[in-house]
Amino acid sequence: MLVLVVATALGFDFTNGFHDTGNAMATSIATGALKPRIAVALSAAMNLLGAFLSVAVALTVTNAVVKTFDSNATSAHAALTMSGDKLLSIVLAGLIGGIVWNLLTWLLGLPSSSSHALFGGLMGAAIAAIGWHGVNWVGDGSKLDGVVGKVLLPAVASPVVAAIVAGLGTWLIYRITRGVADRFTQSGFRWGQIGTASLVSLAHGTNDAQKTMGVITLALIATGHWDHLDSIPFWVKLVCAGAIALGTYLGGWRIIRTLGKGLVEIESPQGVAAEASSAAVILASSHMGFALSTTHVATGSILGTGLGRPGAQVRWGVAGRMVVGWLLTLPAAGIVGAVMWGIGNLFGLTGGSIVQVVILVAVAGYLFARSRRQPVGAHNVNDEWEADVTPRAVPTGAAA
Amino acid sequence: MRDAFGHDVRLALGAIWKVLLVSVILGAGMPALFALSIRSLASGRLVIGRVAAGVLLLIVVYAVVSGLLFIIASGQGKDISFSHVVPQISTAS
Repeated sequence: MLVLVVATALGFDFTNGFHDTGNAMATSIATGALKPRIAVALSAAMNLLGAFLSVAVALTVTNAVVKTFDSNATSAHAALTMSGDKLLSIVLAGLIGGIVWNLLTWLLGLPSSSSHALFGGLMGAAIAAIGWHGVNWVGDGSKLDGVVGKVLLPAVASPVVAAIVAGLGTWLIYRITRGVADRFTQSGFRWGQIGTASLVSLAHGTNDAQKTMGVITLALIATGHWDHLDSIPFWVKLVCAGAIALGTYLGGWRIIRTLGKGLVEIESPQGVAAEASSAAVILASSHMGFALSTTHVATGSILGTGLGRPGAQVRWGVAGRMVVGWLLTLPAAGIVGAVMWGIGNLFGLTGGSIVQVVILVAVAGYLFARSRRQPVGAHNVNDEWEADVTPRAVPTGAAA
Repeated sequence: MRDAFGHDVRLALGAIWKVLLVSVILGAGMPALFALSIRSLASGRLVIGRVAAGVLLLIVVYAVVSGLLFIIASGQGKDISFSHVVPQISTAS
């Protein structure tokens, strides 16, 4: 059971990596500042580094949506608010919900938030297991917490903030460099792109790998394999960093394509503005304890550069599909999480978790097989964006 | 419940303003300085252009390094203060 939970958590970490490569690297790939393969390798290295740099314990990550953990407790085992088995079954079902939604949105080329997928899955599993009160809906008023404070409000605000910043940055850049010869702007801004994109990747590694580390450590505590509240076993750190880096390296080309080519046509200066905006928004908000999703910020930034550059065109159809994807993330991952918990509950603890993982592997295999029909990889990630190449399925206005 | 919801919204609005302010300064300001430095490089005035470009680039590099330090420090669970030009890292309170 524990082995399955750890393996599934690493699977989630992996999908998290390849789902989010595009957040940092889509613009660099689209403008040609970096070759696709080099871009994902750089991003993977930065994610790996970031994951290792972070030693702060993210044990409370699940607390944002499910009351699993009492951080006032002094001993690790006493801190759990429910029995270890129950906690494990909720975490496993929640992780599967997150992975399935991540894979589905990847197939559709939709950049959706991996953290939301995880939170949604956990919420669904918790509702199925404990009931509506099992979910931590709102904070206690002293700080931003709960589903509303940590998930919903940031999701609404962060793309808007990022778009404003990136739009302003783009406008300023084009204003300032008007009339400057192309040979200066092109090479200069390409370096700027590489720097800013690396910064975003590093921030991503420190934030997102930490979430999986927290989940795995929580599972270890639940089964009595670990009893420290303020540290993470080294092997957990190692495998989490490896999983997210490997995922990043394989690259979610479909999502990179949507972000880099689908939303707006990007030039180097826009890429700098977008990534600088993403980096600034991510850092500023994590400094203020405002939890947000890298995906929402990156998407908002890229949209903003389309608005800020005179004459640039934003494909609102693509943007609309993304927003629909975001709205669906929480409930959809939640439903999968709840169903998975139900199935697991049917077969008992050990049998149930095996059945769940088998289902997960089958679904993942099916989605992967579907993806082979229209492969998107390093070779064609920058092809011209045409309506008929875009993966369809979310019936909300075709891409323009 | 409704009260707690209101609290969350108020807290979020307070945080959003700060995030927006800081992000505009760093996220739009730094690229603008970067653009200025490219402009001065391309201005044709060799010495003045290069010195200006260098100074501007230094400011941008300082901001980027501060950002890096911030990521590392918060990853280690430390606080970081930029109130003295050189960033100070301290144990989180």
